Amino acid sequence: MIQKLIDKSMSKSPWIFHINAGSCNGCDIELVSVLTPRYDAERLGFRLTGTPRQADIVVVSGPITLQTRDRLVRTLAQVPEPFCVVSLGSCPRSGNVFKGSYAIDGPLEKYVHVDVSVGGCTPKPEAVVAALAKAAEILAEKRKEMRK
Amino acid sequence: MTQFLMTAFHVLVFPGALFCVVIGILLAGIDRKLVARMQNRVGPPLLQPLYDVLKCWGKETIVPRHARRGLFLYAPLVGFAALITTALFIPVLSYTAYSTGGDLVVILYLLTLASVTMMVGAAASGSPFAGVGLSREMVAMISYELPFVLVLLAVGKVAGEGSALGCTFSLQTIVNWQAANGSILFHWSMIPAAIAMLMVIPCEIGMHPFDVAEAETEICEGMLAEYSGAPLAVFKLSHCVKMYVMTALFCAMFLGGLSTGIVVLDVLLVIVLCTVVTFVSMTVPHAVCARLKVEQVFKFYWTVVAGLAAISAILVWFGL
Repeated sequence: MIQKLIDKSMSKSPWIFHINAGSCNGCDIELVSVLTPRYDAERLGFRLTGTPRQADIVVVSGPITLQTRDRLVRTLAQVPEPFCVVSLGSCPRSGNVFKGSYAIDGPLEKYVHVDVSVGGCTPKPEAVVAALAKAAEILAEKRKEMRK
Repeated sequence: MTQFLMTAFHVLVFPGALFCVVIGILLAGIDRKLVARMQNRVGPPLLQPLYDVLKCWGKETIVPRHARRGLFLYAPLVGFAALITTALFIPVLSYTAYSTGGDLVVILYLLTLASVTMMVGAAASGSPFAGVGLSREMVAMISYELPFVLVLLAVGKVAGEGSALGCTFSLQTIVNWQAANGSILFHWSMIPAAIAMLMVIPCEIGMHPFDVAEAETEICEGMLAEYSGAPLAVFKLSHCVKMYVMTALFCAMFLGGLSTGIVVLDVLLVIVLCTVVTFVSMTVPHAVCARLKVEQVFKFYWTVVAGLAAISAILVWFGL
């Protein structure tokens, strides 16, 4: 029964860790605005955490520059299972306006399995909330699979 | 046999583990909901702290390569046990599980033990962020211990007026004195001490304006930087229990005379009183203030709060 309760609470308390992989700060501001009173993601249990060790959802923004690539891989390796990866904005998907630059080494799929991807430059806060809620559902499913 | 069952009941159910955890989670949930409402948000559900704890319990536990495995994993458990033990000594208005001649001293040491185990766990994790958090927690502890002890002395002096020592450290005696002479909160010379105690509570628990040790935006959750999974769940649970322990201690020391005489009603009354104390001492500062700097916390506690507590202690010592 406790296992079932844990499964249930998995989707109700997802803590977000945000990695900026060379983002222009636009998406980062939109992510923070999701937590402000207007959109209030805390009503779904979301909380920004400061350390990857406590993260359930890792949000990556930016086109993965060469400087951030190693840090990104190292940080993702520190997150305990089960966790979800959300790519925020167009940059981690395709490189966006930075595509073809010598300084970037994207997309994010090269390094980790991306569970939810939000497009847009920058995505609207509504879209970010929807993506995070979707990621929380996937998190609960992952936990169920992990138990099997 | 009955003695053993009674002890088991005390430790595991009524003033002990189960009661503390349930009330602690409720208090933490109410606090988060009220903060959200004060900031014009909808806020998380009331049982959000429970979901957080259960979720952390279900996650993988990672022990870093540089950590001391034993200390890292068992420090949270020792801290949790210390807090449960503290709760056994705090009377629920009229109902006391255990009382000795030196309750206040025992409580002071056990609360320190709870903070120290957290520091030990942080030190064992081998993370520089935890190191910074640990040194900040130490500064916070030095800051609130002085006014806390002064408040305890003032309360002990008021309630122990006629006794042989002239000062009592037994919470049972303090509660009995209040039942006979009215709550200590309503004695005018003790009002500064009550205010000081209300300010000590959030720092002791590590709540928002004074959470220098867990500043998640500056030092990656500070002492909890390397914790994940079950040990983190125990720390989060300890945090909830600490909220109950500190507010219940306030109720016992300053509002002890309000007992109705029936245990069930007393429990409900204590929950209401704890919620009120939580609102006044934690929710309002959390919703209104930004986090202070380390040296600001130290200065604030050693001047303003210690000053208030000292005023009460001096007034009481002169028999006013």
